[in-house]
Amino acid sequence: MPLATKRASVWPVVAVLALGVALPFLLSGGFQLRIAMLIWIFAILSMGFNLLYGYTGQISMGQQGFYAVGAYAFALLQIKLGLSPVLAFAGAVAICAVLGLIVAYPLLRLRTHYLAMATLGFGLILNGVANRWIDFTGGTAGLTVPPLTWGGEALGRTGIYYVVLAIAGVVFLLHDFIARSHVGRALQAIRDDETAAAALGVPVRRYKLRIFVLAAAIAAVAGCCFSVVSLRVDPSLGEFHILVSMLTIAVVGGLGTRFGPLIGAAIVTILPQLLLQFGAAETLIYGAFIVLFLLFIPHGLAGLVENVRWTRKSAAPARTAATNVLEVKG
Amino acid sequence: MEKLSYLILSGVTNGSVYGLIGLSLSIIYGSSRVINFAQGDFVMLGALSAIMFVTTFNLPWFIAIPGVIGVVMLTALALNYGVYRPMVRRKAPPLTIMMGTLGASIMIYGIGLLVWGPDQKFVPALLSLKPLIVGPLITNPQQLAIIATFAAFLVLTWYILYRTRFGLSIRATGVDPKVALLMGIRSERIVLFSFLFSATVSGIAGVLVGPLLGGQIGMGLMLIVKGFLAAILGGLGSPFAAAAGGIAIGMMEALMAGYGTSLYAEPAIFMLILLVLFVRPYGLLGDYEAERR
Repeated sequence: MPLATKRASVWPVVAVLALGVALPFLLSGGFQLRIAMLIWIFAILSMGFNLLYGYTGQISMGQQGFYAVGAYAFALLQIKLGLSPVLAFAGAVAICAVLGLIVAYPLLRLRTHYLAMATLGFGLILNGVANRWIDFTGGTAGLTVPPLTWGGEALGRTGIYYVVLAIAGVVFLLHDFIARSHVGRALQAIRDDETAAAALGVPVRRYKLRIFVLAAAIAAVAGCCFSVVSLRVDPSLGEFHILVSMLTIAVVGGLGTRFGPLIGAAIVTILPQLLLQFGAAETLIYGAFIVLFLLFIPHGLAGLVENVRWTRKSAAPARTAATNVLEVKG
Repeated sequence: MEKLSYLILSGVTNGSVYGLIGLSLSIIYGSSRVINFAQGDFVMLGALSAIMFVTTFNLPWFIAIPGVIGVVMLTALALNYGVYRPMVRRKAPPLTIMMGTLGASIMIYGIGLLVWGPDQKFVPALLSLKPLIVGPLITNPQQLAIIATFAAFLVLTWYILYRTRFGLSIRATGVDPKVALLMGIRSERIVLFSFLFSATVSGIAGVLVGPLLGGQIGMGLMLIVKGFLAAILGGLGSPFAAAAGGIAIGMMEALMAGYGTSLYAEPAIFMLILLVLFVRPYGLLGDYEAERR
């Protein structure tokens, strides 16, 4: 049986990125451009989560913690050490990757619920530290991030948009490459059955560790982008509602799909703007979205779209090499 | 010495609440292999509906307590029929069902936001909060009531699980739902009962702890995490191990806050639990649950 993404080409991704390049000319006003930037940032964050949970089946509810650590590290490296933004960016991503490795090493011994709750505890503790370690993190007031400059001048809104788009494009291509390559197939095999994957020669533990660290680093990238856009970091970055948005994006967009994170991010960012009159009911609607999608459209909107275009191989998305092997054995 | 006894008492009090949540989680987990993420929200509903019945509607406690239990039971019914059962019928894996309960938890939070607003509220105390001196200890009736309720629910759970035919069918469902079904046990009813029972336990815990913590719609999140940490520290497989884990976490928290600073109490507990998980991934008293799919 052919594996899920063999025929999938890179062109849809390139088309989406081309649309991204054209977007500033299509949108009117700075507000819409800001929404577009937020979509890319949430898409980056969710791509890491998608690789980790959607493809590998390892849930992490501490991604918002890495997101916040990335943003704080980016700000602090510039403020305290006076590093240039590029170095601070590299430093922030490296710090999160190391932190991810330290956390992943013991936590990845756990599975399913245990992993979910342990990573959630990790995220909540980071949020507590950001709130209470006032000397270092500025407490609830947060920190101001110096604006990006180009040739001595502060970068305009469109310039920042292209910076965010370039970073998001790289992450998107990486996400897509992993999804389509042998690595993606190995990850899906781990998701479907670890024992069978190990029997097929997939180094399960090493792949899980790598993908957790990668997801942490991608969350840090998203955090850096956010602090570039908003020019400040505060503890709300690591709060539960970021996790809620991320999970909603994952479920609405479609877990383990190539375009799920982007579609979900677009919907979760644009929808609240349309729902402004609901105000306080927004949380309720998010929750209802998660429940209804899990019940009725479990593969998300991207799952629907990808099913239409590649009917033959998406007809049985759960069948991968690992399950086939198991069925032969059983 | 006085400080130590005070800290131990407050540790046991908080630990009892974590233990009750751990117990509730473990009961649902035992019958359905699902972690109910909305468990902390039952505590929140308990505390805030106590405000609604007692302060807003001015009802006496003997009507308010059944009212609170009614609220949490209705929510548990909605959770069971609206999320758990449809997802099981669609053959969703346990982690996906947990995402469903997380969605439900967010919905409960959203409804709470509409009804009670985001502010912290004063929860009326069932018993007086006046200091009471028992031997060397300074305490108050509310604290003692929490500890007594914890003990009472432990005994009740033990009685139901190990001294009734019904408890035998609960345990059978926990071992293998399909085989239990073949033996004529209606697994779905067992799960429904475990949802209702654990919602009641958590709701009453909410009524009792509300006056000490203050009622706020976000309180469920921290409590579910503490309850879950309690359950993994002790072992999710057994309600009593989970309850013991709750006491342990409450004590550690109180002692670290008393002799160190509360800033480091949470990270320290988390590190300790990581250490425990590293050595025993299935909890101190638990079985091999964590490594089983």
